[in-house]
Amino acid sequence: MSKTGHWSLRAKRIAIGAALYLGAVVLGLGSAWWVLKKAPWLNPSVEVGPWRANMHAGNQDAGMYTRATVAVNALLALDRDETMYFVATRDDAGHALRAQCNYRISGVPPQARWWSITAYAEDLFLFDAPNGRYSLNGANAVLDAAGAFTLSTGPTEQPGLYWLPTPGQRPLILTLRLYNPAPALQAAPQSLVAPTVQKIGGCP
Amino acid sequence: MKNFSEHQRLWFYRVLSLLVTALLAHLLAVWAAPRLIMHVLMHGPTAQKMNMHNQAAFPEAVTAKSRTVVMPSPDMLYSVCAFDLHDGPVRVQAAPVLTNYWSIALYAANSDNFFVRNDRQNHGRAVDLWLVAASPNKAQKPVPAGSDVVVSPSMTGFLLMRVLTTDYLAEKAVVEPARRTLHCSQG
Repeated sequence: MSKTGHWSLRAKRIAIGAALYLGAVVLGLGSAWWVLKKAPWLNPSVEVGPWRANMHAGNQDAGMYTRATVAVNALLALDRDETMYFVATRDDAGHALRAQCNYRISGVPPQARWWSITAYAEDLFLFDAPNGRYSLNGANAVLDAAGAFTLSTGPTEQPGLYWLPTPGQRPLILTLRLYNPAPALQAAPQSLVAPTVQKIGGCP
Repeated sequence: MKNFSEHQRLWFYRVLSLLVTALLAHLLAVWAAPRLIMHVLMHGPTAQKMNMHNQAAFPEAVTAKSRTVVMPSPDMLYSVCAFDLHDGPVRVQAAPVLTNYWSIALYAANSDNFFVRNDRQNHGRAVDLWLVAASPNKAQKPVPAGSDVVVSPSMTGFLLMRVLTTDYLAEKAVVEPARRTLHCSQG
């Protein structure tokens, strides 16, 4: 083999090697992004109905994945002694929540000093609600004779129900926040009487 | 490996090294993500615009236009301070007069929530904390005797004060003066 051919082969090998290592780095970074952003609730520590929570969120004993997941999806979360966060991305039937569908969410006020249910789009920011309502909470929830609250989310207001508009066609995420949860609930988060999430009618 | 040719062994080690590289990149990204996000939060363009380095800043009430930190609570009025202990302790003071929930939470540079105090825990008293580093510089000034001291696991971090407001416009006259009692200063 001529000297030029030798160097050409060597350069080709180096280029292929560099491309492979670059691909490996991209694979590593991509898999991290997928785990943290696309599948953040893969490993919840608690599941109650359609609601999931990681009880180590915000805590100093959180593992590397929990810490990163919380930083990406719920930055500045409080420790569970102060606040518990439950997230729903599916309804009671297990179907992914979508902004263009109407949902009825019912439950009893959780055992906490204060609570709220907020609707977020998949970018984890609030919907541009035309009525300026972003959450149902312990202050504005109207309880029925059985002591239960009901709200709706979706593109259409439901008669008689507190409505959180979710304009657009995109995934929907519900967050249940419990500020100063009762000690019994902190000790046994799975004892939460979880609000139900049911789809109303059809869905475009 | 005895039965493999030299060529096969070479490829085995090449594939192995690629997998190790991918794994290391993955782990490094997961480890670094919270630290990078906190760095941007504390030192990024929004932080600089708000001038929150060792002093309190008061963002507007949360609406659909609030897009700095993910999952903002629409029921909380936030106040912030990016603390830096390199030049000594930072003093945090607040005296909100409110009947509803409020809290002051401290976050380390890796995003851990290492301290929180709420209105009930504070029993109506004014907050007066001295935030000190776990590994202070030699030149760091001591805090006054008898101070309420909080040890930060990192030299820099973030303070987030939450004030519950279920109807900001109706409660503005009460909650705004209350949150503006927050002071964050080099001790």
